[in-house]
Amino acid sequence: MKQYDVIVIGAGNGGLAAAATTAKAGLSTLLLERHNIPGGSASSFVRGRFEFEPSLHELSGIGTPEEPGMVEEFFNRIGAKVDWCKDSSTFRLIVPAKEGDKDAFVNENGVLVSVDARMPVGFEAFSRKLDELVPGSYESAKNAFRLAEDMYKAFDALGDGDNLGGIFKVLRYLPDVMRMTSHTLKEGLDALGMPKKAQDIFTTYWCYMGSPASRFDFLYYMAMLHGYIKNGTGIPLLRSHAMSLAIDKVIRDYGGEIWYNAEVTKVIMKDGKPAGVVINGEKEVYGKRFICNGSPNFVWTDLFDAPSIPQKQIKMTNARPVAAALTTVYLGMNKTKEELGITDYSVFIAPTADSDAQFACCQDFFSGYCIINCLNEIIPDCTPKGTSQLFLTTMTFGDVMKDVRPQDYKKFKTKVAKDMIETCEKALNISIQPYIEEIEIALPPTFSRYLNTPQGTPYGYMLDKWDSMIPRTVQFMQDQPFDNFLFCGASQERGDGYGCAYHSGEKAAKLTIQAMKEGK
Amino acid sequence: MASPIKSLDFKEFLPMLKNRQATFDAATTKMPPATDQAREIARALHPKRQYLQVAAVTERAADCKSFTLVPDPERGTTALAYFGAGKYLTVFETVSGMPVTRAYSISSAPQDALRGKYELTIKRVDGGLLSQYILTNWTVGTPVEVSAPSGNFEYQPLRDAATVICLAGGSGITPFLSMANAIADGDEDFSMILLYGSRNKDNILFYDELDALTKKTDKVKVVHVLSDPDAAKALPGAEQGFLTAALIQKYAPADAAYSVFLCGPQQMYAFVDKELEQLQLEKKYIRHEMFGEFHNPASQDDYPSDVPATVQITVTVQDKTTTVTGASSDSVMQILEKNGIAVPARCRSGECGFCHSHLLSGKVYVPKQLEYRRFADHEFGCIHPCCSFPLTDLVLNVPTAK
Repeated sequence: MKQYDVIVIGAGNGGLAAAATTAKAGLSTLLLERHNIPGGSASSFVRGRFEFEPSLHELSGIGTPEEPGMVEEFFNRIGAKVDWCKDSSTFRLIVPAKEGDKDAFVNENGVLVSVDARMPVGFEAFSRKLDELVPGSYESAKNAFRLAEDMYKAFDALGDGDNLGGIFKVLRYLPDVMRMTSHTLKEGLDALGMPKKAQDIFTTYWCYMGSPASRFDFLYYMAMLHGYIKNGTGIPLLRSHAMSLAIDKVIRDYGGEIWYNAEVTKVIMKDGKPAGVVINGEKEVYGKRFICNGSPNFVWTDLFDAPSIPQKQIKMTNARPVAAALTTVYLGMNKTKEELGITDYSVFIAPTADSDAQFACCQDFFSGYCIINCLNEIIPDCTPKGTSQLFLTTMTFGDVMKDVRPQDYKKFKTKVAKDMIETCEKALNISIQPYIEEIEIALPPTFSRYLNTPQGTPYGYMLDKWDSMIPRTVQFMQDQPFDNFLFCGASQERGDGYGCAYHSGEKAAKLTIQAMKEGK
Repeated sequence: MASPIKSLDFKEFLPMLKNRQATFDAATTKMPPATDQAREIARALHPKRQYLQVAAVTERAADCKSFTLVPDPERGTTALAYFGAGKYLTVFETVSGMPVTRAYSISSAPQDALRGKYELTIKRVDGGLLSQYILTNWTVGTPVEVSAPSGNFEYQPLRDAATVICLAGGSGITPFLSMANAIADGDEDFSMILLYGSRNKDNILFYDELDALTKKTDKVKVVHVLSDPDAAKALPGAEQGFLTAALIQKYAPADAAYSVFLCGPQQMYAFVDKELEQLQLEKKYIRHEMFGEFHNPASQDDYPSDVPATVQITVTVQDKTTTVTGASSDSVMQILEKNGIAVPARCRSGECGFCHSHLLSGKVYVPKQLEYRRFADHEFGCIHPCCSFPLTDLVLNVPTAK
């Protein structure tokens, strides 16, 4: 009976990175994926003459040739090749004016707004722009970015293995790291004396990790912001499908096997440890070690018998709030971005600038919180001549679908999409609806179907201060269920994002390789 | 100058790990919920397979029958997936030991699915392996295996005009019948003007049902377009001829945008697409149901010369590798199926991408009207076997059929 060195469950970003790393190290590797293509969120789909990016907004991990980011470095390490397109902007935040706002003004779109902040790439430029919008905020922004640089160094110090050694180095040389990780984003910016209005602009990216300023730790937000602001971001020229296929190729080139449409339906236990898996309810495959890219919640409920699950795992699963769920409307437009009047890649439209208030309104649909992206801003010819593509995103938290029956779902989806489109039309003073040639609407059930996570979240668990990146990293090994079964993906230490998921997969793979070497 | 960050207390870090552990320790040991409503909706609308049985067979015309399908609880299906009118089911059958699949539009109303009933209406296709098999073999009680409702041929109010001219040919009426019922039931909200092309009255499928629908709702109008002049004269309200631009203009709203939906045989698409060019409609207002299985690639202008008549395909599915031989006039999917190898299949028209596979060596021809691959697929040698025709010997990896 064949026994693989490593069986990787799930070909999301984490699983792909794990399998590429173990295959490259010469371990016999089998990657099992329930869908017919790799990537999970990192994919693409075609409607008519448009190919859509399903979930990626921007990759903070590209960097520059001189200072490659985490994603670029990972691709270089495994020898995968992808063409990137760089984004020369960061974000634009628009808060339509509320009644009675005396400071409201009419912006370049002719819309009465409370906030309109179009922020540039680069720490200095960003700080200056912030100061221009909110006088007196320059110093605090500069100080925040200085800390961000330290944070980036801390990432190196954190290493990949058992992180206790790395952590003590960090403690000794970068004590501010500990200050920041034990305080929230809000506490941190308050300490730096950043005016509230500037904080609101500064925290716009909270939604990329899904925890608002009063819950997210200051450290990790700044580390993330470093990736987005310092050198700008990028996206793959040929959608995320190209990234996932590039890693798929590396795995196969190094002799790894990938079986698509091969869903793990059970984990086979032997002597209290995983020994194999059942695929599609029928075929058994055996392995020495396992790396699992699945959401722990459903891994436990779907793949294990309750008595074989370590009690701590059940407690952990119950203790951690499920992170943000996404809703995205994909639009193939029969007009160019210029004809539509779109001028930015990413516009964050929010009924309020305060991240906690934004979080509060994302407890349901129809919140007026919506991000609109136009891919042609970064890849001008990503759609046929005379056309463009947009995607609109909003977030929800909790079981927001609970009152929707399957037979109402289609109408409900259309209602949500219409609301989001109208929010964007109003906030940008543009017309979208008459020019829609293709439309696809993904709500939490769509993400649930493709990602198989609670509420369809692509984000794992909420990165609350108590369960933030540093404590997760320090306690990584003791959080793992079995010594031959490690988790990877958004549920792990760094939460969501391509770079984070690749890191988690690579880390699990390295630990696996090391354990194999040591004959454990 | 001390950075203002120093005002944050360093020591607050010290209990963090302990507190995190304590939060976990305090949590319940009850199994976490195995599902939530997002998952329930996904499962209800997209079951992996539906196990059904034939509950009734209705003759519709010569060589055309409707099959009423109901859940088969003994094989694990207790309820049918609800669907948007216009979707199809892929039928999985085994014909003389060969796995065969085919996509058929659901002709019944979405509401019927909630009452435990789908209807597929199948017309004999010349040389059509599965249609012939089904018409001969499916009787009351026959077990049937189908996919979840699939496809994108649906009305979308944010995209489509308020009025839709539906052009149907032959059994292409099926998705439109479902849509008309959905309109009558209030599940869809648009005005349908159905121009239905048939040779004569005997060839019209669902004549009475369509007639009844027009009486039930004023949002559905049906015009029979008969190619046989005598038949057209004999049928009140019918048009004589074909689905031409002039005819569309005659029934289209004079001063409002309208969409055109097409469903019918491939020859009808070729004819109507030319007619539609004259109307100069925006692309967004023209939508086709899938093309259907492509045959005879050599008839295409861009098909290369010197293609060998037979080719060898070495295919790996999971840990099993097989080498088979087939005709280059067949699609890769057909060759594999004819050799008893099941391939994941849904639309068989290139569109859905369900059969997405890795071509490791060799060359294939893909008719340009069926080219729906993703950009990166070209770069990494990925193909849709259902619409890829071998030009050389091939080596490929195919996902598990499921």
